[in-house]
Amino acid sequence: MSFAHGARDGWRWAIPALLLLAPFLLWPLGSMLWRGVAPEGVTSGRAIAEVAGDRFYWGRLAFTIGQALASTLLALLIGIPSAYVFAMIRFPGRAIARAVVTAPFVMPAIVVALAFIELIGDVGLLGTLWVILLAHAFYNVSVVIRLVSGVWANLDPQTEEAARLLGAGRVATFTRVTLPALYPAIASASALVFIFTFTSFGVVLLLGAGGSFLGGPLDTLEVSIFRLATRLVELPAAAILSLVQLATTLAALTLYSWLQRRTTASFVLRADRARPLRETSRAERALLAGVAVMLGLLIVAPLAALVHGALTTGGDGGVTGANFARLFEDTGRVSYIDPLQAVRWSLSFALGATLVAAVVGTAAATAITRTKGGLGPLVDGLLMLPLAVPAVVLGFGYLTTFNRGWYDLRGSPWLLLAAHSLIAYPFVLRAVLASLQSIDPRLPEAARVLGASPWHVWRHVELPIATRALLAGSVFAFAVSLGEFGATLLLRRREFATMPIAIFEALGRAGEANLGRALAMAVVLLLVTTASFLAIERFRYREVSPF
Amino acid sequence: MGALTVQSLERRFGNVVALAGASFTIEDGRVAAILGPSGCGKTTVLRVVAGLESPDAGDVLIDGQSVLGRAPHQRGTGLMFQELALFPHLDVQRNVDFGLRMAKWSREDRGRRVEELLTLVDLAAHGRRRMHELSGGERQRVALARTLAPQPAVLLLDEPLGALDEALKGELRSQLRTILTRVGTTALMVSHDLRDAVAIADDLVIMGEGRVLQSGALSDVLAYPSTPTVARMLGYVLLLDGVIEAGQLVDPAIGSVEVPDGADVRARSALAFMHQSSVEAVSPGSERGSGVTATVGATRPEGPALTLDLALKDGRPIAVRWGGGTPPTAGDSVELAIQPGTLRFFEAGAAAGDR
Repeated sequence: MSFAHGARDGWRWAIPALLLLAPFLLWPLGSMLWRGVAPEGVTSGRAIAEVAGDRFYWGRLAFTIGQALASTLLALLIGIPSAYVFAMIRFPGRAIARAVVTAPFVMPAIVVALAFIELIGDVGLLGTLWVILLAHAFYNVSVVIRLVSGVWANLDPQTEEAARLLGAGRVATFTRVTLPALYPAIASASALVFIFTFTSFGVVLLLGAGGSFLGGPLDTLEVSIFRLATRLVELPAAAILSLVQLATTLAALTLYSWLQRRTTASFVLRADRARPLRETSRAERALLAGVAVMLGLLIVAPLAALVHGALTTGGDGGVTGANFARLFEDTGRVSYIDPLQAVRWSLSFALGATLVAAVVGTAAATAITRTKGGLGPLVDGLLMLPLAVPAVVLGFGYLTTFNRGWYDLRGSPWLLLAAHSLIAYPFVLRAVLASLQSIDPRLPEAARVLGASPWHVWRHVELPIATRALLAGSVFAFAVSLGEFGATLLLRRREFATMPIAIFEALGRAGEANLGRALAMAVVLLLVTTASFLAIERFRYREVSPF
Repeated sequence: MGALTVQSLERRFGNVVALAGASFTIEDGRVAAILGPSGCGKTTVLRVVAGLESPDAGDVLIDGQSVLGRAPHQRGTGLMFQELALFPHLDVQRNVDFGLRMAKWSREDRGRRVEELLTLVDLAAHGRRRMHELSGGERQRVALARTLAPQPAVLLLDEPLGALDEALKGELRSQLRTILTRVGTTALMVSHDLRDAVAIADDLVIMGEGRVLQSGALSDVLAYPSTPTVARMLGYVLLLDGVIEAGQLVDPAIGSVEVPDGADVRARSALAFMHQSSVEAVSPGSERGSGVTATVGATRPEGPALTLDLALKDGRPIAVRWGGGTPPTAGDSVELAIQPGTLRFFEAGAAAGDR
């Protein structure tokens, strides 16, 4: 479609995003890069040679890539059969089951880590690769299910029927007709899971503690950057790892968006009719049962263990509300983070970040739809850039940039708000963009011919149609900010500690009371994010994107 | 109100030439139909007039004033989209009201105008409905009302009956004609169906390959197509392809007919086109016969009458009504009876390969 309704105001819509991106993303990243190329900079040739010559870092890189590949494989192994179940089998409770398997996507890392500690802490799996893989599967099976079952359910059943009539057996039909149609979806799900697990932070930091691999801890690069940055003496190494991290996520995201376009393209071919209802075969019932048990163990069991732990820890074998009551106690110790204060700060950051994300994300989505021609991909890439920047890298960039003169913001809650806004707005952007792009291009044209200026087209046609997506994206942004751990941990201050930080701190202390308090707060966070998730589900249109 | 003039419009999309110098004029208050095969540039003309596309060359004048410099929302043209493009987030009333709000009409005027239009298109009871609650025909009428509401100087209709099934089309054709007559706005409609044009339009613009092949009053264009291509588009069928000898057009394979004095044919080679409305098949030797004979392939009842699938002597198929009397059977020979003055003659040279 040509840019027919003649609105050439795309650049103006990019202004809010640029106001956020320029100081809080481009500057920190730019200065990191600049220090990389500057002579005698922290990432001078000597520093690079030093890091590149250190087998320790190669070991962390190998671990990061290895665990990401293994996690992706595991997510596919569990996700693809589950996708079949959700796409093809009608069973009672399907909607609830769907919500349950999708919910992990918005769960804070700290909550998930704590849930797995409660579930298998006694089995001796902590500090092993296995628990990390399981926690990653917990998160990412939902990505595979969402992306693959969406495409699977919409495949034209007649192509399979045609294959059968042309002499293909069940297996041949699956491998030669069904599977090829699913490849783009499987590939883009894999790319996404790889990105998520490659940059995994909270889960690895907490669950990998104490383990070892190739002469070092079970640290992803992201965790390594965190450790180096908090030690503050090894900033060059942290900067170099950040650049490696950035380059990898950028490459993987580019691959993902390319694959995603192909998935969308294959979608256009789908038949516009629902799959006929049919009998569920015996084999399908067995599959359904198997998937139910597997997903129950993977997703429901850890969360149940978390709630159980919160209700029983310190209860002498019985159920107790003491841990929740403790959230309201003031122990009077200086080092102690007041839980209520943490809730207040968490909500403040989340609400603030959601507000910024709603405005910036919506404007940015409009900018992308209204910028055509050669500039289009550039604007698109720039506005999506925050997705490619891992949270710890962002936090590290802030620490090394906003650290002197009038812009020494290290102790300011505003810097954390900026980080949360930056991390959250792509979720609004993606939701609103998908909605804007699904609008029949004739609607804006019709509005134009009826006398609407480009602004009026936005205000009276595009925005009202995208409202649901805006709400879904905003709630998503809210949940992401609530659970944000990586950047927040690097920029944390006792004065404005959020709930994930309070949980993390409580975990670091000895004693059942502290564990109980951490568990109780994790349950509160779990409830809030679950409520947010239910709201998202309510606003969301049926769509392929996991965002 | 306004007269619409389209001057030498050119537009290409990549390598595809959509418009290659299209020109025509519609007088104030008249309804014109652009007729042409798909891909001939019809819809592009509408989009250029509405301002949704810019032409590479040429001009669009409303009341003698060029409007190319004006953005779509400042042009005063109304466009009814083929796919309707109704706003799914608004109900019927608010769809119709949209243009009035944009033009900043007062609340009372808007209310009055919306009611007036919904009455006009017979949807007064459906104002609160959403688009998915309406039938195809109702949506069509909402789109028309919405387009008419802000009183555009020129009304553009892209296949206004396109999305409907046959039964509904017939009904809506006459409704549309009535409504357009009542509002009296200059209107330009695009159609691929000659029946729509005949039922609704005053003027006809025939397009092919990005150009205007012929334009004029509907009855003139229908009766006097200017080229064999136009003739075919208007339902004429090639009868003879031969040479003129002594006032007769002789096709050695088929037969000959008399060339009337009025026929403007100077070349020796010429084509004669007939229209099925003016030809009947009769028994051989009948005094109405033209001398051209054909063989009956099949007979098809059409209501009380009979249509014959004939083969001319060179084998070309042609369908003609039976003139009455005992019906022939397959294999019989019949003669064509042609109403005087209804054959159309064209010089063959100009239209080489146009057979």
